[in-house]
Amino acid sequence: WPSATHPQLEKVMAMAIAFIKVPRNFRLLEELEEGQKGVGDGTVSWGLEDDEDIMLTRWTGMIIGPPRTIYENRMYSLKVECGPRYPESPPFVRFVTKINLNGVHNSNGVVDTRAVAALAKWQNSYSIRVVLQELRRLMMCKENMKLPQPPEGQVFSN
Amino acid sequence: MAENSGTDPTVDSNVVENAASDETMIVVTVKTPKDKEEIAISEDSSVAQFKEEISKRFNAKQDQLVLIFAGKILKDGDTLNQHGIKDGLTVHLVIKTAPKATVGGTSQSSASSSGTPQANSSVNPSAAPNDSTTPGTGPTPASTQPPNLLSGFGDLSSLSGMGMGSANFMEMQQQMQRQLMSNPEMLSQIMDNPLVQNMMSNPDLMRQMIVTNPQMQQLMERNPEISHMLNNPELMRQTMELARNPAMMQEMMRNQDRALSNLESIPGGYNALRRMYTDIQEPMFSAAREQFGNNPFSALGGNLDSGVQPSRTENREPLPNPWGPPGTTPSEIRGTGASTTTTSSAGGTAPSASNPLGINASGLGNGVFGSPGMQSLMQQISENPQLMQNMLSAPYMRSMMQSLAQNPDLASQVCTTSALSAQQQLMQQMLQMFAGGGGGSSSTVTPEVRFQQQLDQLSAMGFINREANLQALIATGGDINAAIERLLGSQPS
Repeated sequence: WPSATHPQLEKVMAMAIAFIKVPRNFRLLEELEEGQKGVGDGTVSWGLEDDEDIMLTRWTGMIIGPPRTIYENRMYSLKVECGPRYPESPPFVRFVTKINLNGVHNSNGVVDTRAVAALAKWQNSYSIRVVLQELRRLMMCKENMKLPQPPEGQVFSN
Repeated sequence: MAENSGTDPTVDSNVVENAASDETMIVVTVKTPKDKEEIAISEDSSVAQFKEEISKRFNAKQDQLVLIFAGKILKDGDTLNQHGIKDGLTVHLVIKTAPKATVGGTSQSSASSSGTPQANSSVNPSAAPNDSTTPGTGPTPASTQPPNLLSGFGDLSSLSGMGMGSANFMEMQQQMQRQLMSNPEMLSQIMDNPLVQNMMSNPDLMRQMIVTNPQMQQLMERNPEISHMLNNPELMRQTMELARNPAMMQEMMRNQDRALSNLESIPGGYNALRRMYTDIQEPMFSAAREQFGNNPFSALGGNLDSGVQPSRTENREPLPNPWGPPGTTPSEIRGTGASTTTTSSAGGTAPSASNPLGINASGLGNGVFGSPGMQSLMQQISENPQLMQNMLSAPYMRSMMQSLAQNPDLASQVCTTSALSAQQQLMQQMLQMFAGGGGGSSSTVTPEVRFQQQLDQLSAMGFINREANLQALIATGGDINAAIERLLGSQPS
């Protein structure tokens, strides 16, 4: 078998593949832990949507609306998807709880990557927490903080 | 939970805190944006009971409290257990100034929005987006493959055994880490080799190499995501980029080092990994054994037991610290796990859950290419023209030689001998054989280069007289066994 004679190179390749996949998983496990330990200032929360999700792809996030804004005391649930290239590539984020916020599509809650600096200029050192915190910061911006909001309890439809 | 009525079986026995003496108490941090309190509560509590405690501590009405853990809102009827809330973890609290209706409203929205199997809540089909449906920008659940890279991976959670490839790779990677720790030069040396670089820059070539390996084929069968990766040129390029760049690899390893050390403490996380390890080891290793007669894995200094036995009980030992000195790290693992344990020695090392390849890190000083396995492989090649023929007829071999042919500089670079490490020389020799199209060497190769790997082998065996070794090898045409006999015949050692 010809390929048998290149086990090392193949191994290197396999390891390289692993290096793509594994850092992702380890990184996500770290984030999982941080979410459970409440790392951060307590204004956002995140965790796996399903504990059995061994690919660590689907996450739920929660943003507590910042005080002195129209979002105050509301809780915004989000879905965050970390794809296979995470953290090299940014996650997909969308609001589940209805919100009126610049950069969030009115129809489905999808967050426009261009509108969120952390997503637009994503770095692999960023994390789910960073994204959530940034979205929260956006809520405090002048252009957003007084936007009329839908009644509480509504969610974006698919 | 306590079986004995009077005794608290767990370590953290804060029986004092609660009237019931047979409950296990945990301490949970409750955090608001402004405040933080540690609250002791029975681990079996419901969220409502928890809120009761919280309302006392925070001086707020129970129905004003909204608790969030790991991105989910905790409903009164849920239990702490259900959400995985354990001792030492943190729950976020929002004290609503609005009346109960709002709380109910948000709870409702969260129930439908999270749409998660929070034990009792099922996905609300009407309002909430379903787990399996995602907006256009996200990955689609179907296995159809729209151009989006991510959708090639589809809804991975629906594929059983997903991520198991990771586990195996994780192990391989750990081994790689150890190897690199013991010989950081190794990878750079391999990668610095121009021909390797050349191969690495050709995604088709690399892909071909990988898919034609039955071992990989099996892996790919079990883990379709790998074939997706291989079929995706962009991702392949990225992968190869990484492979070519030892610094990047090391960077990534550094990043994971922290993660590794935290792994044990993540509830569910380690178990997930462990499950993955367990399920991938067996087929992977048996495939390896079938495929490789001389078992390259053993070349890494260990040997595989048939039927690797991962720990059957919870493996609480920390994963190996790749930064630990070689030889010590694996032995930390062994002896404590429930899996096969052997002390680390120069010889074989029985695999364990954390070390399924049975890698003995202390034996890795020579690096993979300089290992006995590789050397014997090389020997086989030199001795077996048919093998050579087979190799030469491999599709990727042709491409490789084409590159060589098209690039005489490359070929000559490959052939220079000055200041090359053992590994590089070995590689070089290999390439020469390929390029030479047979067991014979080209005229530009000196015997010393030609027999480099045999020389290494001899010196590893203790024949330190390089000159004599070389002579013997020349006399026997590279036949190591005959050379040894010669040496033994003429030397007292």
